[in-house]
Amino acid sequence: MAKYGGWAGKVLRVDLSTGRIWTEDTVEKYKDYLGGTGIGYRVIWDEVPASTHPFDPANKIIFAVGPLAGTGAPCNGRTAITTLWPTCWPQPLVATGHMGGQFAAELKYAGYDAIVVEGKAEHPVWLSIVDKQVQIKDARHLWGQGIRRATIQISEEIGPEAAVAAIGQAGENLVPLSVVINSFSHSAGGAGGVMGSKNLKAIAVHGTGGVRIFGDKAEWEKLIQYHLSLLGANNQHVVPGSPQPWAEHYNPASRWVASRGRKWEASTPAVETGTCEPHNLNRIAYRTNNLAYFLGPGDIGWKYTVRGNGCTGCPIRCHNVLKVPSVSAKYGIPEVGQNTCAGLFFGRAFFQNFPDGPKGLTAIESCMVGMHLADDLGIWCNYSQLQRDFIKLYNNGTIKSKLGEKESKSYSWDKYEKGDPSFLFELLPRIAMKEGELGTALGLGTGYLLERWSIPEEEWKKDSKTCYWKLGHPRHHTSDEAGQCGVILNTQFNRDAQCHSHTNFTRNGLPFEIQKQLAAELWGSPDAVDVIGAFKPMNVYKARFAKWSLMRKELHDALSLCNYMGPWVASPLKERGYRGDDSIESMLYSLATGDRKDRQELDQVAERIFLLHRALTIRDMGTKEMRTQHDTIPEWVFLDPAGKPPFTQGTVHMDRNDIQLAMDMYYDEMGWDRATGAPTAAAYRRAGLREVAEELGKRGLLP
Amino acid sequence: MTPFSPLDSTRLSQILSRRQFLKLSGVSIVGISVLGVLLCKGETNAPLIIMEQAQGIIIADPTLCVACRRCELACTEFNDGKASPAMSRIKVNRNLNFGPKGAYAGQHGQGTWGNELVTPDFCLQCAHPVPCANACPNDAIVVKPPTNARVVDVEKCIGCRMCQRSCPWEMMSFDSEAGKATKCFLCDGKPKCVEACPAEALIYLAWRDLTDKVPIRVAPTSVISPEKAATCNECHKK
Amino acid sequence: MKEEAHAWEETRQVAASIIRKRSEAGHLTSRREILQELIEQNLLPPCPDEPVADADLQSLLKAATEENEDLKELLGQDGVPRYFSVEFLSETYARILLHKEGDPLDMIAEIVRENSAKYPRPTSLETLQGPPFDLTADQIQDCLEQMQGQAGYEDIAQIRTSAGTVFLYSATHLDPAYASMLAEWLDVGQFNSP
Repeated sequence: MAKYGGWAGKVLRVDLSTGRIWTEDTVEKYKDYLGGTGIGYRVIWDEVPASTHPFDPANKIIFAVGPLAGTGAPCNGRTAITTLWPTCWPQPLVATGHMGGQFAAELKYAGYDAIVVEGKAEHPVWLSIVDKQVQIKDARHLWGQGIRRATIQISEEIGPEAAVAAIGQAGENLVPLSVVINSFSHSAGGAGGVMGSKNLKAIAVHGTGGVRIFGDKAEWEKLIQYHLSLLGANNQHVVPGSPQPWAEHYNPASRWVASRGRKWEASTPAVETGTCEPHNLNRIAYRTNNLAYFLGPGDIGWKYTVRGNGCTGCPIRCHNVLKVPSVSAKYGIPEVGQNTCAGLFFGRAFFQNFPDGPKGLTAIESCMVGMHLADDLGIWCNYSQLQRDFIKLYNNGTIKSKLGEKESKSYSWDKYEKGDPSFLFELLPRIAMKEGELGTALGLGTGYLLERWSIPEEEWKKDSKTCYWKLGHPRHHTSDEAGQCGVILNTQFNRDAQCHSHTNFTRNGLPFEIQKQLAAELWGSPDAVDVIGAFKPMNVYKARFAKWSLMRKELHDALSLCNYMGPWVASPLKERGYRGDDSIESMLYSLATGDRKDRQELDQVAERIFLLHRALTIRDMGTKEMRTQHDTIPEWVFLDPAGKPPFTQGTVHMDRNDIQLAMDMYYDEMGWDRATGAPTAAAYRRAGLREVAEELGKRGLLP
Repeated sequence: MTPFSPLDSTRLSQILSRRQFLKLSGVSIVGISVLGVLLCKGETNAPLIIMEQAQGIIIADPTLCVACRRCELACTEFNDGKASPAMSRIKVNRNLNFGPKGAYAGQHGQGTWGNELVTPDFCLQCAHPVPCANACPNDAIVVKPPTNARVVDVEKCIGCRMCQRSCPWEMMSFDSEAGKATKCFLCDGKPKCVEACPAEALIYLAWRDLTDKVPIRVAPTSVISPEKAATCNECHKK
Repeated sequence: MKEEAHAWEETRQVAASIIRKRSEAGHLTSRREILQELIEQNLLPPCPDEPVADADLQSLLKAATEENEDLKELLGQDGVPRYFSVEFLSETYARILLHKEGDPLDMIAEIVRENSAKYPRPTSLETLQGPPFDLTADQIQDCLEQMQGQAGYEDIAQIRTSAGTVFLYSATHLDPAYASMLAEWLDVGQFNSP
C-alpha cells in the first residue's frame, strides 16, 4: 500500500512529438509541491527554458490536481493548468488557468495526479486515458469541430462517464483568447491555443479506481461534516440575501439567495428553495443561484432557473442551469444552458443596451447565445476584458477606423447598437476563426491587440472603465473593493490575479463590526480590513491579510480546493460568533494524506510554491527589478473622477505614497528585498528552494 | 415452536420437506419470520434462496439531483475509506453526462449534455426472487438485519461477478482492490448517501416493491445452475 | 399553596411552548393570543376579569422570559409587547415582523437607517419589494412621498445608480457621495467583478 493517501501516485508524461508515454512518481518527485500549480511551476522551472514561446513544441502544458481532488472534501473539483501564457504581453511568462467540472476527480480515479504534455503531434490527436491504458489517438476527424461535437464523439468512443477536456476552433487556430472546456461548461482560459499548437484536440479520462483516505474513515466523515457545517453559499457568503427567520444578519448583495417564495421555476415542477437554515446540510445546494444573482433582481433569474450544477463533490452548485424557451425559435440554439459568473454573461457583456433594458429578456437571450457560441468555439473572455476592450474601441471609433470598408460593412452594426443578440453570430465565430481584422485583433488579448493597433498601453491604464491592470490582463478584485490588499494581490501574477481569498471575506455579508472582530483574530488587528469606500491608510495587518490571501490561493490551487469558496474563516453559525476555521485546509490535507501538517506548516508549503512562481517570473523576465518592472499598478487606481482625496468616504482610489508603503510592508512580510521586490537568497532557502536561489544567483537575479 | 436454525439444512431435510414446513407454519412465503436465509432441502439437493423483504429502500428524485456525486463519495469514503465512485452502491456518474442512454443520446437525452435531468440509480432491494442472490453460486448475498437489506457476505464471495450480470438495473458494484462484489446495504439503517445529499434528492423510506416501476438498464446475462432453478418447483409446483 | 405554585409553573411552561410554536410558524405572539390559548387549554378560567388576567399574565411572562434564555419580549410602537423565541426567530427577523404589523413608512425608515448604520449600505427599492418586506412599488412610492412632507424623516434620501436602480439611505449615517458610491458598487460594480 502507498505510504500516503490522497495522491493517486503517478504523473503522466506525454511527448506528442515522439509519441512517448511514461510516468513519474508523484510523491517521490513532487510531494513538497503538493500538486496542482506546485507541480506545474516545478515542471516549468526544471524543464522549460526562459524565452520559450507558448506555441513552441518545447513549451509544456501541465494539467494537475492535488491530493484532495476526487475526495469528499467540499469544493475540490479544480484542475490547475500551468503553462507559458499566450496572452501575457509583451513577453510570455508562466501563468495558470483553472477548470472545474469532473476532470479533476476522474484524473485521480484513473490513477494520476497530473498530466504533462510536451512536443507537438504530427497531426491532430486526442489523448485517451482509461486507468492504466494511455493512448494517443487520431483526432483528424474531430479537428475543425466545436468542443461539443468533439466531446460527444469522444464519449461515444471512450464511454459516457469519461471527463473530456477539449478545445474548439479558437484553440485549434492558436487564438490566444481561447479555452479548454470539460463537463459542458467548465473552462480554463488561456490554455486552448497551447493545446492547439501541440495538435492536441482533447484529453479524455475515465478512471475506475479511487482515492485512498489515509486517516480513519469515521474521523474523515466527522471532518467532512465539520467542514460542511461551516459552509456558506457561493464565494463563502455566510449571510442570506434577504432576512430569514434564522438569521440575525442579511445582505442583499449576498449570493445566498434562497428564500421562501424563491423557486427554481423552470424546473418541472418548480422547486421551492426555502429558508435554508444553515444547520440543515441537506439544503446547501439550494442556497446559491447565480442566475438570480447575475441576471437581475426580483423574479427574473428565478423564472429561468432549472437547477444547480457544478464540480464533482461540491455542494454549492454555482453553475446554474437555465432554460430560456424563446432562444430556440429566435436563434436556433438549445433552450437549455449552464454556466456562472463571467461565463454566464459572456454574450451580454458585449452590448451597451438592449431593447427591453439591461435586465430584460433580451439580455438573458444574449447570455444564452454567448454561452452557446463561446463554450463551443472555445473563446476566452479574459475575465470580460475582451468585451470591455470591444466596447471602448467601438465607442471611440477605433474599430471603424481599423476595419476596411468591406469588412466593416460585413458586420450588422445596427444589430449591435440595438442590442440584438444575433450580432454575436457574426462576431464570435470570426474571433475563433481569426477571420478579418476585427476577429484577429480581438482574439489576441489586450496587450497584443493594443500593440497591433498602435494604441499605447497607458491609455488603458488611466481609464478605470477598462479595468485593465498590466501584462495584457485586467484587475481581479482590487482596490475598488479591498483597498491596499487588493492592489498588492493584483501586482503578483502574470495574468489577472484570480485570487478570491480576500473578497470571499470582505463580501461575506457580516456587519462590519463582526468582520473586524474576525480580522483581529486572523490577521492581528481589526484594522486589517476597511469598509469598502471608506479605506484607511496602510498598516502592517493589511500586509498580513494580503500575504494570507495569496498563500491560501496558491494552497488551494495546489491541493485542489476551490478559491472561489475558500478559505473558510467565516461561517453562518451564530453560536460560533460567525467564525469559520482557519485550519480547514491543513486538517483535510493531514487526514487525507497522512502527512501531518498544521496550518502554518502547510502555509509554508504554499509559500514555497508561490516563491517558485516568483522565481520563474524573475528568471523569464531576466530582471530582479520586480517592484518597478513587474509589480506595477495602473494609473486609474490613483484617480478619482470627482477628484475626492484618498481615504475619504465615497472614494476607492488609492494614494501613491501609501501604496509604496503597502508594497514595502508586503515585501517585508514576505521577507523579500524592499528595493527590488525580489525574494532574497535567504527567502528562497527558507522555503526549501536552495537550488532555485543558486540558479538565479548565477544569472545575477538575486538582490 | 423451537427457533429454527436457518443454516442447519441437513436437520431440515430429515424433518420436513419445505412445502410441508411452510404449510405447517401457516405463513406465506413473503411473511416468513425466520431470520436470515431459509435453507430447505426438498426433493432436490440444491439450496433455495427465499429472502425476507427489506425494511427500507432509498429513493432518488432526478428533478432535485444536482449532479454533485456526494452520494457516491459518501458511500465509498465513509464505508470503505476510499473515494471510489466506480464502486459506489448508489450510481450517478453513469447517467450524469448523457442520461441512462449514454453518449449515443448526444445532446438529446438527459444529463448535463441533454435536458439536465440527472437520475441517481438506487438498489431496489428486490423481493424474492432476488436476482443477485439467486445468481450467486456461493449464496454469498444474504439478508442482513435489522434493515434486511440484501448484502454481500464477503467471506463467501468468490469474486466471480455473476451477480453483476444478473441485476437488470446494473446495481451490483465490485471492489477491485478486494476482489469482492459489494452492494447497497442501506448502511444498517442510516444511509450515508441520504445524509450526504445537499439537495434532499434522496430519501430513505419503508420498503416497497419498485421492480416493475423502474425501467431496467440491461438484460441480465447471468447463469443460474439448473439445480437452483429447479427448486422453484418446491414452492410453486401444484 | 404548593399546588398553586405548581399550577403556575405548568402554565408558565405552556405559555413558553405557545410562544415557541408560534415562533416556529414564523409569528410573534401577543399576550392576548397567549391568554386565549391558555383559556382554551383550561389553564385559566374562561371570561376572566381582563385587566386582572392580563396583569397576572404579564408577571407570568416576565418570569418565563427570565427563566428561558430563548424567550424575548419586543415592544411595538403601540406599546404592546410581543413575545418570540430566538430558537426559531432571530431578533432581526422578529423586529421586521413587528414592523410589518405597523405603518410601512416606519418599516422603511427603520430598515434604511439600520442598513445605513450597521453594514453600512443603502437599501434598494427592490429589497423592500422582496421577502419578507413584501411591499409593492406603489406602497413604497406612497411612503416616500409622505416622508417628503413629514418631520422625522428628513434623513431618508434617494439615489439612482447608472443602471437606473433606486436606493434609499439615511443621511444621518451615510453622506450622499458615499451612499452613491456604495449603491453603484452594489448595483453595478460587484456584478462586473464576479
